[in-house]
Amino acid sequence: MISAENSAGQTGSPVVVTGTSQRFGRNTVLEAIDLAVAPGEVVALLGPSGCGKTTLLRLLAGLSRPTTGSIHIGDQLVADASSGAFVPPERRSIGMVFQDYALWPHMTVAQNVGFPLEMQNIGRAERDARIAEALGMVGLGHVADRQPGTLSGGQQQRVALARAIVSRPRLVLFDEPLSNLDRELRESLVVDIAALLRKLGMTAVYVTHDHGEAFAIADRVAILHSGHILQIDAPEQLVGKPVSPQVVDFLKLGLVLPAEVQNGDLIIRGGKHRLSPPAGLINGSRSGDLFLPRSALRAASADGGAQKGNAISGTVVHSMFRGDGYAVQMRFDQNIAIEMFSATRLGDGTIHDLDISWDRAFWYPHDAAPALSHT
Amino acid sequence: MRLTHLKSRVFGSGGMIFAAVAPVLTILVAFPLLFVVLQAIFPDIARGIFANPFSRFVETLFDKHLIAWTLNTLMLGGSVVLVSSLVAVPLGILRGLFRVPFAGLWDVVFLVPFTIPPYIAALGWIMALQPRGYLEQITGLNFGGFLFSFWGVVFVMTLNVFPVVYFAVSRMVSSIGGRYLEAARVAGCPPMRSFWRITLPLTTPAIAASLLLVFAMSIEEFGTPAALAARSGFLVLVTGIEQRLSDYPIDLPGASLLSVILVLIAMAAFVLQHRIVSRRDFQTVSGKPGANRAAELGVWRIPVVMFFAIIGFLGAVMPILSVVLTASTRTISGGLTADNFSTENFAEIFANSGGAMEALGTSLSLGLGAAVITGILGTMTAYVVVRQRTVSSRILDFLTLMPNTIPGVVVAVGLILAWNQPWLPVTPYNTIGVLVLAYCCLLLPYPVRYANAALRQVSVSLEDAARVAGAGGIKVFFRILMPLIFPSILAAMLLVFAVAARELVATILLAPIGTKTVALFIWRQFEQGSVGMGMAMSVMAIAITMTIPVAVAIWARKQGRLF
Ligand SMILES: Nc1ncnc2c1ncn2[C@@H]1O[C@H](COP(=O)(O)OP(=O)(O)O)[C@@H](O)[C@H]1O
Ligand SMILES: [Mg+2]
Repeated sequence: MISAENSAGQTGSPVVVTGTSQRFGRNTVLEAIDLAVAPGEVVALLGPSGCGKTTLLRLLAGLSRPTTGSIHIGDQLVADASSGAFVPPERRSIGMVFQDYALWPHMTVAQNVGFPLEMQNIGRAERDARIAEALGMVGLGHVADRQPGTLSGGQQQRVALARAIVSRPRLVLFDEPLSNLDRELRESLVVDIAALLRKLGMTAVYVTHDHGEAFAIADRVAILHSGHILQIDAPEQLVGKPVSPQVVDFLKLGLVLPAEVQNGDLIIRGGKHRLSPPAGLINGSRSGDLFLPRSALRAASADGGAQKGNAISGTVVHSMFRGDGYAVQMRFDQNIAIEMFSATRLGDGTIHDLDISWDRAFWYPHDAAPALSHT
Repeated sequence: MRLTHLKSRVFGSGGMIFAAVAPVLTILVAFPLLFVVLQAIFPDIARGIFANPFSRFVETLFDKHLIAWTLNTLMLGGSVVLVSSLVAVPLGILRGLFRVPFAGLWDVVFLVPFTIPPYIAALGWIMALQPRGYLEQITGLNFGGFLFSFWGVVFVMTLNVFPVVYFAVSRMVSSIGGRYLEAARVAGCPPMRSFWRITLPLTTPAIAASLLLVFAMSIEEFGTPAALAARSGFLVLVTGIEQRLSDYPIDLPGASLLSVILVLIAMAAFVLQHRIVSRRDFQTVSGKPGANRAAELGVWRIPVVMFFAIIGFLGAVMPILSVVLTASTRTISGGLTADNFSTENFAEIFANSGGAMEALGTSLSLGLGAAVITGILGTMTAYVVVRQRTVSSRILDFLTLMPNTIPGVVVAVGLILAWNQPWLPVTPYNTIGVLVLAYCCLLLPYPVRYANAALRQVSVSLEDAARVAGAGGIKVFFRILMPLIFPSILAAMLLVFAVAARELVATILLAPIGTKTVALFIWRQFEQGSVGMGMAMSVMAIAITMTIPVAVAIWARKQGRLF
């Protein structure tokens, strides 16, 4: 059962999810998911609440069975809907950290952490040594004999982390492990978890709805949206080259403006704006979504840009002082809004032009093949 | 700091409520219980004389009856606990872990025994199992010998109390089902092993606590052992006390000493139960119900459903069926033939034969009175207890919750002793008022506990906000607090009503001559052998007590708790 790389205790196993769907009755929660995680890689599943993150994680854990498709962990086929093959969670050698900790209240911290080892019939002496080691790794060696209920939330989650890694599993799963903690604790713990996973070379899938957390911990981030993976890439790639307006929207990267093409110009839906992009951007399509990253927009120094088709004007909803400048909320047509940075206060209700740097703009055509064009 | 902050809340200070409630509680609870203890020590206290303390103590203590009855009580309690655990623990675990077919139905069916007064259930079983009872008429089998024995008492009492264990265990098991088990599976623990390592240890406190409750309920029960076993000479402390007080010569010191022993046993059970329930791990578990994914039963579906159905039939259907059949037939010996069925018994009830309608009216008014008084007292006490954590408030808390551990028969003994003191200028004894006192003392813990729980949900800042908005203390109480906690208090009052309207043992001992209540009516009819009318009255008592607590349970469940 225990694969070679696992018994070596150094690297995690690869994980391959192929065409996996999950339906509850008529409700399709996951639709033909394909996902490959390399050994030792940390992948974050990022998406809004209810998009199916937990469902996917439970499939990996073996806490539920897929409706279609298959899952491999290492060389082992752990679930296959077509043949009915299924390996239950206790025989997958994985670790998991739950949102609500799930520490057993009738066991001490050490007993909680030692439980996975006990299940593998590992002798007392080795067990104690490895419990101490795991608790040491999460900085909690001194609470071994306490009851979990007497610890703070952050400490409990560290114990849960120690329990998840103590048996050097092939794969560690995290289901929004930090969402019950306050921001400061979250930020420090996510760094600790990332460092620990790298040090142990463990494969991990980390579910969260928080961009910051996903970017901080993951080698690659998968954006999950109503049962589909929209994009899976390294954080830099995700922000630099989002593949669709939904990704932009979910990551709040900037403005997405639906537009029609007329004589090479873009008529923004709503009719108020006519923009003149450089020739290469549109590439022959008739309509699409124009994506202007925040970095492509700058408050205009002088008027006149809007006439030339290189600026877009919006109404300031609110300016909020942020210490080093102002967070300005601007509204465009059709309730499209953006929050952006400005060095000076822009008066509420005033209209301002934003200059567009066309070299940073993206165009997502509606009609053409979904090729990403970028100047 | 917190105290000064708290002090100036409703009614200027809780001191006013305290001043109003403390004397009432003293008279209601402390006064009668004090006299039970005094009587056990001073044999002549009934004449107001503190002479010869302990003079009869040793003699009474080594009374061979006393030892036998105490042992019988412990044996009965222990046996009911044993049989209840054999029946209800598996039921509760199955219900909590698996997708049991008709699960909702079983929950309702197992609520039914709570609504059947135990003495009526016992009478129902007598009709069914006695020689030439319904079972023998239908199948030719005669279980009379079994029913009128020790194990017959255990059998009937278990069927009445096992739901306490069933509900506690099933709720606990299903609340730990989710995450804790998943965490164990992921950690490499197979299902059977996770049951032994995770589910069972986490459920043990709930099982122990509910079994202790069953023990306490069993040793306090009067009707069942009196109806089934008293004639064959098997007496427990409760039936023994009743005998000391009703057979001449009346033995007050004996009854008191027996009462003290009974209270000590009951208190031990409650203290132990309280210890378990307030342990940290118990609360951690029960506070966190997880999303439970019940497992499938597979091939065990049918045996499991049979198990639920048999227990449901024995606990809920059988006694009621037997009572209804007896009520709607002319004679038992006439059997279940068409010409034996009649509405004669009900007609006689409505014709006020034997004072039936008066009994009904008296019981309903007594229930209502007890409900209103305990509702008001309970709310006031809970307010002082929750909002002011002072020593005096803790005394009130203790006074209101103590009757929980005091059996009805002991409250009756205390009231007899206390209110017959020669130096009293006025006394409710020999009036219907003493019954109100008895019911209020016995049932006060319900409204206090319900109001307590409800008040703890109401954040202090809700009151503060109203004060800031310009409401005075009284306004805050009636406009903010009452609307928020009233549903809970009403639920408790309905429960008080239902229980008071059918109370048996204290009523037997305290009711003035000529006063009839529903319970007395049924009991006397049974003693006189005219069971038909007694059973017709029982049907009405069950109808009343069934509709009310079921309504309460449904309502309470809507608010997120069961009782
Ligand atoms: N066992 C289940 N039965 C039916 N629907 C479910 C079940 N589990 C999850 N769902 C549904 O699947 C969707 C995704 O749930 P989940 O994976 O928990 O989302 P999240 O991304 O917030 O973790 C939700 O709409 C939820 O209602
Ligand atoms: Mg989730």
